[in-house]
Amino acid sequence: MKNIMKSFTVVAFVLLNLSINVSASEEKKASSVNGAQVWADTCMRCHNLRAPEDLSKRAWKYSMQHMRVRAGLTGKETRDVLAFILESKTTEDAK
Amino acid sequence: MKRFVIGITLSSVVASTLLGVQDDALEVKQLRQEMNELKQMMFELKRSNEKLTGYTEKDAVSASSEREFSKLKSTVEEMKTELEGNSKSGFQLAGYAAFDWTDAQGADNEFSGVKFAPIFHYQYGQIFQFEGELEFISQDNGEVETELEYAAGTLFLNDYMGLQMGKFLSPLGQYVQNLHPSWINKLPSNPLGFGHDGAAPTSNVGIALRGGLPQVADIRSNYVVFVSNAPTYGVADDGDVVIDASGKTTASDVSKTWGGRFAVNPVAGMEIGVSGAIGKAAEGITVGADTFNIARDYDAYGFDIMYNANGFDFKAEHIEQHIGENSASALEGGKWRARYAQASYQFTSLKIEPVLRYSDYHNPEQEKNQWAVGVNYLFANNVIAKLAYEYNTDEDDDAVSSSANDNRVLAQFAFGF
Repeated sequence: MKNIMKSFTVVAFVLLNLSINVSASEEKKASSVNGAQVWADTCMRCHNLRAPEDLSKRAWKYSMQHMRVRAGLTGKETRDVLAFILESKTTEDAK
Repeated sequence: MKRFVIGITLSSVVASTLLGVQDDALEVKQLRQEMNELKQMMFELKRSNEKLTGYTEKDAVSASSEREFSKLKSTVEEMKTELEGNSKSGFQLAGYAAFDWTDAQGADNEFSGVKFAPIFHYQYGQIFQFEGELEFISQDNGEVETELEYAAGTLFLNDYMGLQMGKFLSPLGQYVQNLHPSWINKLPSNPLGFGHDGAAPTSNVGIALRGGLPQVADIRSNYVVFVSNAPTYGVADDGDVVIDASGKTTASDVSKTWGGRFAVNPVAGMEIGVSGAIGKAAEGITVGADTFNIARDYDAYGFDIMYNANGFDFKAEHIEQHIGENSASALEGGKWRARYAQASYQFTSLKIEPVLRYSDYHNPEQEKNQWAVGVNYLFANNVIAKLAYEYNTDEDDDAVSSSANDNRVLAQFAFGF
C-alpha cells in the first residue's frame, strides 16, 4: 500500500509537471465570465458568499490566492474569479 | 482664294480664343476680390464674437492645454494607484472570532468560550503565498490557550501545482481544512470526533503538492499529495487513549506519513472527495529509566461530499484512523471513526437558516452519537448568531456522575473578517 502511495505521488508529480507546458501556452488573460461561473459553483459550497464590497481590491487579491489553495482552484480559475469580483465592485476603494 | 478663306477662319479662331482668355482672367479677378471680401467679413465676425463672449483664440488654446494637462495628471494618478495596487508583495489580515454561551443539563449556564483566530496572508507576486493562523482560546481557568493552527508557504509552480511547506491543516476530508472556522461552521459546536484528539487528523508538518487540475469533459477536480511527520499514539492527560494527529516537528524515530486527497466537482455546487494516509504512529514507551519510541502501523481514509444549490446545503463526511498492534506495548490498537451528515436551508429574505446535523464517534473505549438542531440569524453573510440544541448519547458511559449524556443548549456569535 505504501509503495502504491509513493508511486502515485511520483506519477502525479510527473504528470502535473508536464502541465507546465500546457499552462505556458494557455490564455493568461482573466475571463470574468468564467470567473462568475467558478464563483457561483465553488464558493458557497463551503461558506456564505462575501460581497465584492466586503473587501478592498488589494484584500481580494490576497484572499483569492488563499482560496486557490483552500478550494483547489487552478491559477486561471483564481484570476478569473478575481476579475469577476473586481468588475462587480460597485464602490471605489479609499485612496 | 482658298488660302484666303483658310486665313480668315484661323484669324477668327485665334481672335475669339484671345477674347475668351481675357474673359476668364476677368472672372478670376472678380472671384479673388469676392474672396477677400468674404475673408474680411469672417475676420470682422470673429472679432465681434470675441468682443461679445470675451473668448479669444488664445483662450481656446489655453483651455485645450488645461484639459490635456488635467487628463495627463489623472492618468499619472491612476498609474500610481495601479502600481501600488499591484506591487509585488503585500499582506492581509483576515480571520474569525466567536463568543459562546452554553446551558448544559445538570450545570449552570455559562459564557463558555471566547475564541480569536487571526489569519495572516503574505503574497509575493503570483508565485508565492504564506498563510498562518493563530488561535487564541480563553480557558475556564482564565488562562489563554494559544495554538499555531497552521503556518505554511506555498510556491506556485504553475497554474496546476503549488508546493506547500510547513504546518498545514490535514488534507484528509473537508471539515478540518475548510469548514471548522466559526463563521463557516453552521452550528456552534464541531461534529463529534472532528475536534482535537478526535478521529479526524488536524494538521501535518511536512510538504504537500496541491492544486486544481485541467477540466476533463467540463468536470473540475483538485488534488493534494503530502508527506509529513508521523502522528503519535498514547494516553492523554485525561486518561483517554488517543491518536494525536496534529503536526509535530519531530519524526519520532518512525517513518513518515504519506497521504492525499482527490476530489471532483461533477455538477455545479457539488464536490465529492476521497482521501487516505499511511505510515507509522510513534508511541512512547518507558522501560526502567529509558524512554523511547516504538512504531505502530497507522493508516487513515475518508470520504466526503458537499452540495449547495438555491439556499439548500448538504455536507457529509466519514473518516477513520487505524492503529495496528505491537507486542512491545500494553496499549491495544483499534479504530477511531467519526462521521456526520448536515443539512441546512437559507431563507435569504428572512436571513434565517435552520440546520440539522447527525454525528457519531467511535473509538475502542467510546461509542457516542449526537443530534443537533439549530437556527442561525445572518446579520451579514459573515456576521452570524447561532442557537442550537444538542441531544448527546454515550452508549458506553451510563454512570450517574458522567456528563457524557447531558444535552446542551448552545448559543454563539461568530464573525469572519
